[in-house]
Formats: sequence, structure tokens, C-alpha cells
Amino acid sequence: MNQPLLKVENLSRHFGSGATPVRAVDDVSFEIARGETLGLVGESGCGKTSLVRTLLKLGPATSGSAVLDGVEITKASGRELHELRRKMQVVFQDPYQSLNPRMRVDRLICEPWALHPGAVPKARWREETVRLLESVGLRAEHADRYPSEFSGGQRQRLGIARALTLNPTLLVCDEPVSALDVSVQAQVVNLLARLRRERNLAMLFVAHDLAVVRHVSDRVMVMYLGKIIETGPKQSIFSAPAHPYTQALMSAVPTPDPRLRGRRKRIVLEGDLPSPANPPSGCRFRTRCWKATSICAEQVPTLMARTPTPGLLTACHHAESEVISSQTPWNGSSS
Amino acid sequence: MALLEVTDLQVSFGTASGRIFALNGVSFSLERGEVLALLGESGSGKSVTASAIMDLVPNPPGAIDRGSIRFDGAELLQLPPNERRDLCGSRIALIFQDALAALNPVYPVGWQIAEMYRIHGRNPEGGVDKAVIDLLTAIGIPDPERRARQYPHEFSGGMRQRIMIAMAVALEPDVIIADEPTTALDVTIQAQVVDLLATIRKRSDAGMIFITHDLGVVAELADRVAVMYAGRIVETANVFELFEDARHPYSVGLLASQPRLDTDEDELVPIPGSAPNPVALPSGCAFRTRCPRAEGLCAEVIPPLETVGPGREAACHFPVSPA
Repeated sequence: MNQPLLKVENLSRHFGSGATPVRAVDDVSFEIARGETLGLVGESGCGKTSLVRTLLKLGPATSGSAVLDGVEITKASGRELHELRRKMQVVFQDPYQSLNPRMRVDRLICEPWALHPGAVPKARWREETVRLLESVGLRAEHADRYPSEFSGGQRQRLGIARALTLNPTLLVCDEPVSALDVSVQAQVVNLLARLRRERNLAMLFVAHDLAVVRHVSDRVMVMYLGKIIETGPKQSIFSAPAHPYTQALMSAVPTPDPRLRGRRKRIVLEGDLPSPANPPSGCRFRTRCWKATSICAEQVPTLMARTPTPGLLTACHHAESEVISSQTPWNGSSS
Repeated sequence: MALLEVTDLQVSFGTASGRIFALNGVSFSLERGEVLALLGESGSGKSVTASAIMDLVPNPPGAIDRGSIRFDGAELLQLPPNERRDLCGSRIALIFQDALAALNPVYPVGWQIAEMYRIHGRNPEGGVDKAVIDLLTAIGIPDPERRARQYPHEFSGGMRQRIMIAMAVALEPDVIIADEPTTALDVTIQAQVVDLLATIRKRSDAGMIFITHDLGVVAELADRVAVMYAGRIVETANVFELFEDARHPYSVGLLASQPRLDTDEDELVPIPGSAPNPVALPSGCAFRTRCPRAEGLCAEVIPPLETVGPGREAACHFPVSPA
């Protein structure tokens, strides 16, 4: 395989100093290939957003490295950082807050070109703006309107158009559809899938909605309390997760099928997420894990292949694949 | 006679850009022991329905223009204010979406649960303190004696939501209205809360109105579903019929647009466009501008909610044929 587009090694992001910093991201390593979509899932407080912010250099890394296309993100500054920003762009969660309400759409779209002279010559700004708007399903006349004149779904299309202005190679999507209504979510998910095919975009797709992540991702990474606890190709992780937390997370998602009510195996976790300032020793999930034994308190489990499932890496001493069959409720004993 | 019967309810709000009709003639009924889901997207009128039943529509700018809400034989909209207030909390209880905003930050949670008994002048067997501890135990809060003395900020989001539920069920109400109780929660915590609600419905014969936009939660909890769009109910059906054989094109679109965790789809099938502006609803059927089945008639005549099968109704001139 070629060089990965993004290579992250032992990246950490801690907040506060002294004896107990909050270890929001702790010793995380992963790669994203060109044109690949990596889904990142986890619950609030697991470090998803801190990881994203560190990768985008919206905050400093505490240690470790992240290399995009040969350039070290964590150390970049000045001209180098400016160039990096062209290559990695972000679609934010809330399209009501991420667009300046006082800027007309044409100015919103052209702003990155003004900041990066040479990207698109000024004479072609209008033409390119229209082309971009059309590529995200909006129309030319929308260029002369203000964000307040658009619905939530349309605003998110604007956010995507703006992220594409500089033709990035990596698009970071931080919960891009969670602020949208269900009927509109599918529009934006389909748009991202199409743009990704057309432009060979690599994406880091952060979301808490596992079904959406399954739909858009090639590979998926699960975080818990600052650590990656399981990662692998979409088929492996959704059909045979081996980490107890991944299994619990997937079993907790309600299935939109009333026939399966009470027939699915449900793992309801006890308790809440521990504080990332004072995480449990050894495995961080052990305080809520039904499989935990003494080794879990003593040794931090490393992320490695622990089951025969292709490509699946699991950070658990008691990893055991749980085959989730495709559900056929009418066959009687399937659950 | 139904436990709760809402008929032709219309609620409007005055705004700078004109009067907005949040509910345009909503009718439904709730039986004892039944879980009715009100399913809809933002602006569809789900929460306004809850507010109207609980007498929480702010007036002004809001007003209940017409309609009737009958509870256990009594017309709520004609009760004197003090009698109405007595009912709310004791016989009809509401679980709010945002527990952090709904709980008072400066009082311990035990005190706030006990307030339910004090305000309604109840003396539970064994005393109020014991009743509070029992409730906290029942909703799965460990170490309830100590926790009762703590303040809302000392609890996690999931626990706060469970405390809201404890307050709602404290006086054993006949109707429990849950307004998006799991929306702000993570999935594993959401599962805990859904389980708690399922336990409560098994233990009591209260009727429950469950307001949500999450089809998954509906499938887990509801007996019957009323789908709302732009201030109207567009379809009612029992939960199995809705998921297998929806009749209103909006319900069908909603079901088709959701990705699933247990299957791979090639491409999602979205509903085109977005929800209409409530100040300027389309003429006729409000869904027609996004509807694949719309014809000329849809722009002219508002389709009434009509029976389309045993115990089910749809408001559509051209409903999807039975599967």
C-alpha cells in the first residue's frame, strides 16, 4: 500500500497540568488512506472532538505526531500551517453557528480564496462559486442570499461547499448530520458520499449515530475515555465486534423494527463514564465491564489483533468476537 | 371512554411575521396502560401538544384557539386554574427533555422530589423522606441516602434524567408525558432510560405519551404511533403496522430515509426539500411540496384524517396502498 494520507502516532492531548491533567486523548495511533473514510464513534466525553481539534491544529498536541501528506501537523507553523489548512478542511456540527450571519453566501464561499491567493484567480470566483453551490445541490441565485434565508439542511450544504473551496484531500466531518432532522439527514449523508466518490476525498467522519457511521465509513474506530479501544474494517467491527464496550454500544442502539422488541440481546451498561482526569488503572473500561478480572486493573491492554476477524484490532484482555447475525425475526429462534 | 381525549386542538403563537399555527386541529386518544408515540421532526407540533395538555402554553404570545382536551371525563380547558394546576403533576405528569434546565440548581434533588408530595399535600406511607429514598432506589441511583442530599450538578446527564422520571412518577399519575426524554443522552445511557420507562409502564397502568423523533426508540417502546407533520397528525397506526405498512407518504419517507445498524444500504432515500415555514404553509396538504404522490387536488383540499383500516387513520388523498 502507498503512504497513508494521514498517519497519527502516539498522539496525546491533555488539558491542565499538575498531578491530574485531563487526558482527553491519550496515546492514540491510526492511519487514513487516500480516498478512505474512517468513522470515529464514541460517547460524549470520550475525546472525539479533542482528537479532531488536535488534528486540525486548533489546539496543541501534548505529545506524539500526526503527519498529513508528509507534513508534521503538530509542529507546523506560519507558511507551512497555512498550506496545511488548504489540504484539510472541516464540516462543523452546527450549521447555525458555523456560518457568519452577516456574510452573504458568495462572500462566505470566496473567503478561503482571498486567504489563499493563487488557489483560484479572482476573475473566476463567481463562476467557481456557482459551480460549488451546484455541486452541493444549491442553485446559482443562492449566492446572493444570507445564511438566515436557508433551512438547516441547506446551511449544512453551504458548510460543505465552503469546506471544499480549496479542494482539500482530507475532510474532517464533526457530527455533520446530528443537528439535522431525520428526513434531511439522508440528503446530507448522500451528498457527502457522492462528493467523496467524485473527488477521491479522504474523510474522518465523527458521529455518535452508529447507523450513519456504518453507512458512510470504510473503517471504524471506537474511542472510550481518550483511548482507541477497537478499530477495523466496517464489516468486521459491525458484524463481529470483540471489545465488550463496542458490543454494548451496538446493542444499545434501538433498532427501528418493533418485531425485534425484546428479542435482541441487549447489554445495558451500569454506571457512567469515569472522569478522564482520574481514569481507572489498567483498562479504562473495566469499572463498567462484566468481563473484568484482576489483569484488567493491572495491565493496559494494547490495541492488537486478538480474534480471527479480518483486520479487527481490539484493546481488551478478554476479547472475544460476538457474531451479530443479520436478524431474521420470523425464523423463530434467531435471537 | 378513553383516559385522555384530545379533539381538534388548535394552538397558535403571535410572532413579528404573523400568527403561526403550531397545531392545526390535532385529535387523538390515549387509553390506560397504552404507550402512544408522537413521532415528528422539529416544528411538527409534538412538544406544543404536550404543553397544551399540561397548561404550559405561554399566553401571550401563545393561545389555544379551539379544541378540547378531556381527561377522565373532565374538560381540562374549562377547569378553573387551581383545579387544573392540581391535576398537573399529580394525575398528569411531564418528563422534560432537558433535565438540567428543568431541575432547580440551588436545591438538593431529594428536596425537589419531596416537593411533589408537599405541593400536592400528600403524606406517603412511612413519610416523605422514605418515599424519596424508595424512588431513588427504584430508578437505580446507588447510595440513595447520600445522593438525595446532592445538587443536580453533581449528577451525570443520565442520572438527572432518571431523577426527572422519579419526580414524574412520584404521585403515581394516570398519564405520563415524556417529551424527548432520551434525545440529549448517549446511546448506552439512552438504553438505561428506555429500560426504566419500560419497567414503569409494566408496573403501572398509566397511559404514556412518548414524544420523539427517533424511530428506533418508537420501535422499542410504543404500542401505537401518531405521526405529526406541520401541526397535524398525518397518520396513526399500531407500531407494527406503521413500520411494516405505512400509508402516508411522509411516514413511508421517514422510514426509508434512515440508515440501519443491521443492514448495508447502497444509498439512502431522502425526503426531498425541508419542512415548510410555519408562517407560510403550502395550501392544501402541507407535505405536498415534498411528496412524490402529490397531484392537483393536494394543493386545493386539506386531506382529513380518515380511517384506512381497522384502528388506523391517514390524512392523505393518495395514500400508499396496503403492502
